[in-house]
Amino acid sequence: MTASHGAYGNADATTTATSNAASSNGAASTDESLNARVRTSKSPRPNKWGIIIAAVVAIAIIVGAVAIFNGRNAQQSANKADTVTIGLKLAPPSLDIRRQSGSAIEQVLIGNVYEGLVSRDSDNAVQPGLAKSWDISTDGTTYTFHLNRNMTFSNGDALDADDVAWSINQLKEKQYYNANQVESLSKAEALDANTVRITLSSPDSNLLWYLTGRPGLVFDKDATYNAKTQAVGSGPYTVESFDSASKMVLKANPKYWGTAHKPATQHVVIDFITDDNAAVNALKSGDVDVLSPVNATLAKSLDANTYHVSASDGSDKFVLAFNCANKKLADKRVRQAIRYGINHKEIIASRGGVDAALGGPIPSVDPGYEDLTGLYPYDVAKAKQLMREAGYSISKPLKLTLTYANTYGTELGDQLKSQLAAISIDLNINYVEFSTWLQDVHANGDYELSLVDHAESHDFYKWTTPEYYYHYDNKDVQALYAKALAANDEKESDEYLKQAAKTVSEDAPADWLFGYRVTVAYNKGVKGFPDKLSQTVLPLWQISKAE
Amino acid sequence: MRFVAKRLLLFIAALVGLSILVFLALRVLPGDVAAVMAGTNATAARIAALRTQMGLDRPLPVQYVDWLGGLLHGDLGISAISGRSVVSQVGARAAVTFPLIVLSLAIALLIGLPLGCAAVITRNRRWRGLFHVLAIVGGAIPALWSGLLLILLFSHGSGLLGLFPSQGFPNDGWKDCGRAMASLVLPALATGITAGAGIMRYTRAALGDAAQSQAVSMAMACGMTRRQALLRVGLRLSMPQLVSVIGLTFAQMITGVMVVENLFALPGLGSMLITDVGNRDLIAVQSELFLLAAFFLLLGLAVDMAHHALDPRLNTASDDVQEVL
Repeated sequence: MTASHGAYGNADATTTATSNAASSNGAASTDESLNARVRTSKSPRPNKWGIIIAAVVAIAIIVGAVAIFNGRNAQQSANKADTVTIGLKLAPPSLDIRRQSGSAIEQVLIGNVYEGLVSRDSDNAVQPGLAKSWDISTDGTTYTFHLNRNMTFSNGDALDADDVAWSINQLKEKQYYNANQVESLSKAEALDANTVRITLSSPDSNLLWYLTGRPGLVFDKDATYNAKTQAVGSGPYTVESFDSASKMVLKANPKYWGTAHKPATQHVVIDFITDDNAAVNALKSGDVDVLSPVNATLAKSLDANTYHVSASDGSDKFVLAFNCANKKLADKRVRQAIRYGINHKEIIASRGGVDAALGGPIPSVDPGYEDLTGLYPYDVAKAKQLMREAGYSISKPLKLTLTYANTYGTELGDQLKSQLAAISIDLNINYVEFSTWLQDVHANGDYELSLVDHAESHDFYKWTTPEYYYHYDNKDVQALYAKALAANDEKESDEYLKQAAKTVSEDAPADWLFGYRVTVAYNKGVKGFPDKLSQTVLPLWQISKAE
Repeated sequence: MRFVAKRLLLFIAALVGLSILVFLALRVLPGDVAAVMAGTNATAARIAALRTQMGLDRPLPVQYVDWLGGLLHGDLGISAISGRSVVSQVGARAAVTFPLIVLSLAIALLIGLPLGCAAVITRNRRWRGLFHVLAIVGGAIPALWSGLLLILLFSHGSGLLGLFPSQGFPNDGWKDCGRAMASLVLPALATGITAGAGIMRYTRAALGDAAQSQAVSMAMACGMTRRQALLRVGLRLSMPQLVSVIGLTFAQMITGVMVVENLFALPGLGSMLITDVGNRDLIAVQSELFLLAAFFLLLGLAVDMAHHALDPRLNTASDDVQEVL
């Protein structure tokens, strides 16, 4: 940089006034060629400040015009009654429901674009779907499904028993997503155009429920399309456009076969809004009619006269898993101490006080639930005692590492660190990307403590699969779960599940920090939006909006 | 001509080096797209099957040659997750990021050039001091902070004056030009102010040097006022320097706006890269990074050429050297 901060140029430079006088005199030099270069200044220059003020005014006018223009537009788009706009937090990475993981795909596509043999209602119960009824053999290994008649896909192709059998056999053959949930299923065959028989290797009381999810979906055998960007299903809606960065537009399927689920609204736009504040702003400005989920704390700012806000139980379990294959955690006293040492109330309160305490592996919306929060109440004295017995003290603390994905925020880790410090555990937080978590913890099982939200319903089987990253291997639990699957009677099955869940919880292979309860908020003009389980079952056909 | 040819050769060599660097750097990351696709319910067998399907189990050199072969054919590949071509993905995101950069740069120039010139032209000490303070304070404001401030002042909903949207980009993109533009104003201001202060400093320095030059003295001797001489002769003299600075600022903004895109939830190149790296969609990420880096290099090339075009002295100088050699 130059050192001269004083006057640039020559100290005796002509001033503006004299130069004007000079140029108006015409000849400043006797040299012709130089004279030619001297330009006479035109009319006196407008004041510098005049220009600045004019610029500011011009900008203000443009800004104002844009603001008015865009405010009017926002109102226009939100007032259309044939379009309902729903704001979701998570976007499906693609439309490939057979290969791509993520609950957002199921939430958006199942029941709306793709339909299954059976469906699920907002109480998590099995309902008829493409099959209007079914019979189960007394030994529980043969299911006969009776299909609805005259069903079609959105491309006009007929949907019959061949498509159903093909879809299910493909699932097994290609090991599509969640094929492991229906391991007991050995084959599907079309008996006639409207009847499908599914044969199981062993009875499975969960089969019907799993068929309401991805394993039961029926695809068009004869259609070829790019499943990542297009969807050909039999549901009441078709995908008009999809961009996982911004939105999905669904249009009522004109070829929809059913009469019960006729769409109430022609267009449903799903906006993916990651930022919680932006989502609430979008609801307030009318850009979206519904938010699911909405941040519980921010939802308190919504006017109760205009918006309906409600929270409900779901299947999300925030699981703090203890790697049972790890030497330090193989000691049951340590695992129990951690459970006693965690103050769940404090954690839930800091998240807005909406979430539910959860004492075991089964959430309240699933069969086999019972309140197990009494097993390990918050008791620091007892936790310290157990840690002493295991040979640790404040001066000789147990060093543990918690690995968890950065999608959940740093607060949870910090809270656990400070709570466990009181019971002589020195917790080191390893805050990683989700894909790193998947690799290190989930795939390689290389961890001590891990924290993740297991959102799936009916996923108790993870505690009976020792290969799963929990590395929990308890023969009693496995036997109880097998009995629950084999039981014909629902009550009997529930009873076995309860016993199994209690055994797992007592063994303390994990702590269930809380059950995330989803808060939804919508404009009171919107009708038919489900309050419950909208993160997994989102029947769009019934949603409408008053003009 | 020789200069152009030499520069082009260098450009191609840099591209090849870049492709190797990008490819290797991404392979260091833990985790892969198969695991992400398979999710938390997956069995090890399912992940292995997906890896085979996507060709992730092939040796690295084979994967590299495969990718490079595609690049040579102008085929940047297809995202393993979304199934869209990388070109269309980048195109869709660039439709947000590039207008944002251009708008930011326009704001930066509107702020930086006049203020920079004014700082040299004015002879008032107080004004000079004020400009100095402006340049330092403006340059020291992080875009993230000025962005937050702008949201508090001008955004719909939470701002004092509800003029502009604070979050997101209209879903129909540029179909509704007014709304699209409005959603870019605040982010562009946030980056534009910081970059503008930088341009102001450079303008002041370059024009200040020019003011000392004989060319300006000569112009004044011929009867121009000091202001005329500075704006007509001095500014022209400092042009090559300013073009370099503007080119650099543009290149910096490609990465600089990513922070602001994140703050304003704009679906631009920044959020695309973050999502794709998060998903370990490496084929997409490496092509995207390659495209961006190639653009960087191209910009450098263009600036160099412009430099030569604007400053004939450089051409004669290098020709002289060549003649001597």
